[in-house]
Amino acid sequence: MFTLQIAINGILLGGLYALMALGMSLIWGVMNIINIAHGAFIMLGAYVTFFLFRYLGLDPFLSIPLSMLVLFIFGFLLQRYLINWVVQATMFITLLLAFGIDILLTNGARIAFSANFYRVNPSYGGARLDLGSLTIPEVRLAAFLVALLIALLLFLLLKRTKLGRAIRATAQDLTAARLTGVKVAHIYALTFGIGVALAGAAGSLWSVLFGVHPAMGGPLTLKSFVVVIIGGLGSTTGPIVGGLILGLAEVFSSAWLGDTWKNVISFGLLVLILVIRPQGILGGTK
Amino acid sequence: MKRSLRYGALVAIAALLLVALTATVVLTQDQPTILLGSALSLSGSKVREGTLYKQAYDFTVDYINSHGGVKVGDTVYNLAIKYYDDESSPTKSATLVEKLITQDKVNFLLGPYSSGITIPDSAIAEKYQIPMIEGGGASETIFSRGFKYIFGTLAPAGGYFEPVFQLITDPKMAATFKPLPSKVALLYADDKFDTSVAEGTRKLVKEKYTQFKLVVDKKYPSATTDFTTLLTEVKAAAPDIVLLAGHAEESLAFVQQAKELDVNAKVMVLTVGPPVHDFRDALGADANFIYGVPSWAASLNFTDTVLYGTTQNFVQLFEKKYNYEPDYHNASGAADVIVYKEAIEAAGSLDPKAVRDAIAKIDILTEYGPVKFKENGQIDRGSILIQIQNGRVYVIYPSEEPNPFYPMPTWSERSER
Repeated sequence: MFTLQIAINGILLGGLYALMALGMSLIWGVMNIINIAHGAFIMLGAYVTFFLFRYLGLDPFLSIPLSMLVLFIFGFLLQRYLINWVVQATMFITLLLAFGIDILLTNGARIAFSANFYRVNPSYGGARLDLGSLTIPEVRLAAFLVALLIALLLFLLLKRTKLGRAIRATAQDLTAARLTGVKVAHIYALTFGIGVALAGAAGSLWSVLFGVHPAMGGPLTLKSFVVVIIGGLGSTTGPIVGGLILGLAEVFSSAWLGDTWKNVISFGLLVLILVIRPQGILGGTK
Repeated sequence: MKRSLRYGALVAIAALLLVALTATVVLTQDQPTILLGSALSLSGSKVREGTLYKQAYDFTVDYINSHGGVKVGDTVYNLAIKYYDDESSPTKSATLVEKLITQDKVNFLLGPYSSGITIPDSAIAEKYQIPMIEGGGASETIFSRGFKYIFGTLAPAGGYFEPVFQLITDPKMAATFKPLPSKVALLYADDKFDTSVAEGTRKLVKEKYTQFKLVVDKKYPSATTDFTTLLTEVKAAAPDIVLLAGHAEESLAFVQQAKELDVNAKVMVLTVGPPVHDFRDALGADANFIYGVPSWAASLNFTDTVLYGTTQNFVQLFEKKYNYEPDYHNASGAADVIVYKEAIEAAGSLDPKAVRDAIAKIDILTEYGPVKFKENGQIDRGSILIQIQNGRVYVIYPSEEPNPFYPMPTWSERSER
């Protein structure tokens, strides 16, 4: 039963990790930009939810569409008027720019919102489902389901809509996409906006489960990166598999070996995947 | 004609500059100043605590300057502080301390925040033989290197949890703590301070308070946000007392997740969190009944202190300026500046060695309580046990009539209230 409880903890956590990584995977796959400012956008999404909760009393789950919208607009403009300058440059330059954006956003948040850490604690905060000797925190379960829902919506967007086809085309072959009339610059901006909006949604959920503070982004960028590598680029289900694997790896290594081994195992897994199967478990030919 | 005009203009400008320069020199010489220096965490992961120290240092320096300054012989000096932001990084901090000493030529040093940063910083102070008084590092490691120029005002880390055991085993409290809550779960982060706390606690349980038993003794990586696995293990061990040695963010996550997973204990003690106002604000009613072990509490009232009169006077003045009730970080930082004033006046000079000797011999009562240093430079004091009740902090031990709320109600009971 102990093992089952741990496994459930891992799956619920994994779902959240998957959502976090979806945005990074999308941007990376389509634009070949490794967005190391990803965590900073998650942080911004968390702050949006926090402020809506504190000043308007808006339920955090209901604020997700709003934080996604705000982050989408922000990401779209950021890409269109800043990142677009370096999209065709070497990877080093894009990393440098992303790094700079990360520092700017993190310290900007510190100045604007202070370094205090806040929690979003709705009235149903500690609610639990007790199934025999298993305890399932309701908020975690809800976050997990929301993460899956958003992943499903992204999947439908990419596979069933014209925009989705355009995005996939741009990812597959830039020149061919242009030839078929895809406005690449516009698609890039939209993709970045969507990717950042997904980060925002993850941030909103994170704010309820783990709280908000300006420096929360760094470790989350790292986790998203690991999830993307493990699950593989170039597929929407990749991050989901990667997220679940990371979630389970973290909780089981913590339970069996001790909490300090958690990071060793997680990053050990990253190294292992890079050595054995660099394209990731579900990865394509990138 | 032209050339001599230009030449004349140059001479005039040079003369003007000379006058201006001497004027500024003359002006600055009106204020003899003792320059203190500090590399503090003004950005990075420790910015919140670093800011607490900066505010405390500035507040006390201003107060001293406006209440007679520091008297060395016949001269009255003002205090001033030069800060550098160490970005919460130990290596950067050490470099900045060296800069303060060699380039900025500070007279004395005030400490950074956190044991991890104080260790390298104090090594630099020792190298140059400039005294450093710090109020933000409690790990005994800082004081176990035989250094003479480092002094600390936070109670030693190893003894942080001692008042918990003292309270429970106090004969006066026998009726309250019957049956004796003897099973203890110890959880600690893997940084210098918390490992010192854990080592000390283990020693206390093994040698002094043998009625207690450690049923869980687990280390976790610093800045952990997810305690679900640890909490599941703690729940399985069913301890009476839970001791968490970690920093503010971890404490918050821990309590929140303990509620989610229905992990209960009769006594829950956190090293960091309970005394701090935004911890209590963030948790709301969930913070009730939790204990803390700070070096000082704002509800204490030392009277007849060397600078602020009474502790309550300090608390009120501080709160008026900064809009929050000071916690032990602030009080400890303020005490550091006060010790300098007293030591410099006692030594009658600004010579680093003379002041250092005066600090070592000091025995004063400040708003932070009695300050006296042990041979190794660490303050000779223990921590205080506080408990949050109805959103406010109460000193439980040591006390004439300890009034703990025991046992802590279970999460289910609390939601029925």
